[in-house]
Amino acid sequence: MSYINRRRFLKSSSALGFSAGTGLLAALGSSNAFSAEVNGYKALVCVFLKGGMDSMDFILPKDLPSHNALASVRPGMFEAYGVGNGNSSRDIDNILEINALNSNLGGRKFGFSSGVPELQNLFNTGQAAIVGNVGPLIEPTNRTSMNNFSVQLPTRLFSHNDQQSTWMSFGTEGTQSGWGGRLLEPILEADAVSDPVFSAISTAGNDVFLSSTNVRQFLAKGSPSSANILEQNWRLGTGYSSNTAMIALRDHINATGVTSDNLFGKDLIDINRRALRNIETYKSALNNSVGVNAQFPNSPLGNQLRTVANTISARNALNVRRQIFYVAIGGFDTHDNQHTDMPRLETQISTSISAFQNAMVEMGISDKVTLFTASDFGRTAVENGDGTDHGWGAHHLVVGGAVNGQKIYGEIPPYDRGDLAYTGDRGRLIPTTSVDQYAATLGGWFGLDQSELNDALPNLNNFSEKNLGFI
Amino acid sequence: MRKIVSKTLKNTLTASLVIFLISCGGGGNDSPPVSVAPTPIPPTPPVSSVLKLNSDQEVVSFLSKMTFGASRGDIEDAINRDASELLSEEFSKPPSYILPFVIDYTDDDVGVQHRSYSAAFWNAMVDGDDQLRQRMVFALSQITVISDLNMGDRPRMNAHYVDALYKHAFGNYKELLKEVTYTPAMANFLTYYRNRDNSDQNPLQTPDENYAREFLQLFTVGVTELNMDGTQKLINGSPVETYSNEDIVGLARVFTGLSCGGIDFWNCEDYDEIAPLVMYQNYHSKNEKKFLGKTIGAYVDGDTAIDQAIDHIFEHPNLAPFIATRLIQRFTASSPTPEYTERVATAFETGSYTSADNVQFGEGVRGDLKATLAAILLDEKFFNGEEKSNTDGKIREPVLKFINWARAFDVGNVFAENEWALLFHARSNEGLGQQPFQASSVFNFYRPGFIAPQTYSGNEGLTAPELQTTHEGSVMGYNDWMLEYVFNSSPARDEAIDSFAPDYSYEVTLAETPDQLSEHLDTLLLAGLMKNTTKERIVTILNEMPIRSDSEENATKDRWNRVAVAVYVAVTSTEFSLVL
Repeated sequence: MSYINRRRFLKSSSALGFSAGTGLLAALGSSNAFSAEVNGYKALVCVFLKGGMDSMDFILPKDLPSHNALASVRPGMFEAYGVGNGNSSRDIDNILEINALNSNLGGRKFGFSSGVPELQNLFNTGQAAIVGNVGPLIEPTNRTSMNNFSVQLPTRLFSHNDQQSTWMSFGTEGTQSGWGGRLLEPILEADAVSDPVFSAISTAGNDVFLSSTNVRQFLAKGSPSSANILEQNWRLGTGYSSNTAMIALRDHINATGVTSDNLFGKDLIDINRRALRNIETYKSALNNSVGVNAQFPNSPLGNQLRTVANTISARNALNVRRQIFYVAIGGFDTHDNQHTDMPRLETQISTSISAFQNAMVEMGISDKVTLFTASDFGRTAVENGDGTDHGWGAHHLVVGGAVNGQKIYGEIPPYDRGDLAYTGDRGRLIPTTSVDQYAATLGGWFGLDQSELNDALPNLNNFSEKNLGFI
Repeated sequence: MRKIVSKTLKNTLTASLVIFLISCGGGGNDSPPVSVAPTPIPPTPPVSSVLKLNSDQEVVSFLSKMTFGASRGDIEDAINRDASELLSEEFSKPPSYILPFVIDYTDDDVGVQHRSYSAAFWNAMVDGDDQLRQRMVFALSQITVISDLNMGDRPRMNAHYVDALYKHAFGNYKELLKEVTYTPAMANFLTYYRNRDNSDQNPLQTPDENYAREFLQLFTVGVTELNMDGTQKLINGSPVETYSNEDIVGLARVFTGLSCGGIDFWNCEDYDEIAPLVMYQNYHSKNEKKFLGKTIGAYVDGDTAIDQAIDHIFEHPNLAPFIATRLIQRFTASSPTPEYTERVATAFETGSYTSADNVQFGEGVRGDLKATLAAILLDEKFFNGEEKSNTDGKIREPVLKFINWARAFDVGNVFAENEWALLFHARSNEGLGQQPFQASSVFNFYRPGFIAPQTYSGNEGLTAPELQTTHEGSVMGYNDWMLEYVFNSSPARDEAIDSFAPDYSYEVTLAETPDQLSEHLDTLLLAGLMKNTTKERIVTILNEMPIRSDSEENATKDRWNRVAVAVYVAVTSTEFSLVL
């Protein structure tokens, strides 16, 4: 039975007097297929940083030897940042230290630049964790196995679009299902009650992360319109009071009754039909919800995260129990002028994510909502003058009340390009934690069991550690 | 006819080539832009041409591919003529450069001043007589992409880039690549401006790889080897990668040493933004440059190295099918068939195309864009009357739909500089959903290989780039955008200037016969492809809008209102999004 058919069946069954809960699932006699845990409410929020974020210029070294080591591979950039003048956001004394509870750092210390106090606070209060050196891998990989070709590598490393796609979907551009969507598949199978339309929500277009066989993303906007003309009957002049005219207009916007033999024509009709119906449901749910009071910065990320927070506040009206959100901002491809671009970007990240976490705390569901970052790739440790080039592994943030915070998971390799952590002289990090492991840890918290995680994440079985423990 | 109602806004679009030559001639090491020499008009084709446009619908169908859309006047001019002849005419029209407009443009509002180049391009797309060149520049702007999102405060630099595309739109793609490589806009956008190879002094500092990578991946050969028909070459069932990271590292050394013309590598004259970049040998890599099987010696001078590199890459067998696919997608088909792609790729490869009525296009040199465009637009499949397949057609991106409306109703006062929406809000999904030269990155608004999940087209494996940016939000944004423009209620900077005002004078004469009005809109906007359901809805709604008889003023108002509603329904119909 396809998912849609099963839903219909479940709905019609409940109309006959079943409650659409465990009794019915048992009645279907397939408890294995419905083992995902779907009680209460949980949400994952993916913040995708497009362009390849230089996490080495984000999670900064706070101990002197490490700081000197980074300075030695980035002399031009450190000069441009004014490091050494006492006022630089990257001066060792100005770096805001994070007090990681780890015992395995061997004297190394880390921090954020002086421009991101909000993230320092989230980390030091246990609401955030760092996962070091994550990236796409097919199997555990190191420099030796890479150089003697004894290991299978993801294809088209270092290419933006392909690595965005690989991060989101384990395949290069053109792959049809992302792990956001794949994590939702067993959830929707197990949850006969929730509305699948509002389980996958993007504020940033049709990227592959939230697509899969039965999951389709809804595009949410801050102030959604459901066709202004339907609310502006004065446009009809002398016909303003005609119900017949307004109904016909509404049918037109909805493409009701329009058919096409052409496949693109069919797709366009479908999209128009979904648009009116879904936006009207969404708008009315938002109008019937209290919304959030927390202040968000007026930035691309701040605005998207405000939309996510408002959507979460409407979760009951939207009839959802599990949601995955996708938000994205660009500008991270800092091949040059990194010293001017990065401070602007990291401030946006820090203020926006912190506003979002405050909103979740205010709503009392901080432990139900987990935000995490992703990006095309990290960047070269070695600079190109005033910027950095495409890399591979990168450090990421996980934020929320359920996170086992104030810790660094995974590894933050030293800045010595001779270190076997790097592919070679430019200092492109070979990931020590795979995207599959990162996703599996999040997915396990979200409600999937081990076999469902194995189904959703194609390379997970190649890694022995299937839960990184950060949540 | 377009009337100018204001003196405060000068329409300086009629390009003053003299100013342009003076502005651009100094300081560069390259020849100044020159107008493209008119193509000789080919011999008159046989009278009973197979490419003759016999009906209004055939004209609209052809012009919806070759131009931004037909007006009633355009239909009258083209009816009963050969498509090949119309195409030759387009090739002979001089370009309408926009830099002169930007140089002359002054406005107290610095934000508006910055958008002047964008306003000039909107005006040119809507109102330029060189319609195919406009379409081609919009298409090229989606292949050799720059985005002004982070350089919106440099209107002259951006206009200079647009003009480089105008200059080469009907030229050779190789020359276009070479000129583009030396534009300050591309160098700033893809960060090779002042890129240098310091490795002789500091072994840690290596050249910026950005341009090298995107030049190969997006401008020329792509990531996997292609057959001439655009399909992937498979070896043992797997695609073959065209280059490795080592090729990128090698090619990155080529694009070093470029900076502004002026005092030295680090100091510019103030005209740097609109002159070609200059090579500074001291900052050009002194390492050997190896990529794609080519080795350029360590001490070859920088300009020669760039020249040799582009010449070498240009010979890659992928180039013709790679560019053919991208151009077809921008003009006629979202998912071109292999056969069609091969015909167009062959025209690109040979530099020559002979149409079904025996008109020859192109100079016979690889990369000829006239031959390529002729192969795209005059392809037999559009003229032989065979039934359309359900996989044919191009989904039109928002810019094409909006300008088609503007041209169909001959909008007056084409001053995009008076339109808040066109200056600042077109990109947003609350707005049109697309602003030329404002893609979010060099990967354009959408990807050529995008296959939409969970769709009819996707299930058949058809590419549909435009569906990547089509969703609930964009559909409603477009509906609301068109509502303001169709009803002539878009917010103006100076309310005294009625910019982008549609001329519905002919349509008003059909207002009291809604069925005739819907048939007329079907022909004018949709080449006869409007669905009956849509036509019936137009009639139903208009019949609910009485024409008052108490005064001629009211009656006039009511007729106009009927037309506006009918036009709104037509341009927001799903069928308006598809050109067949």
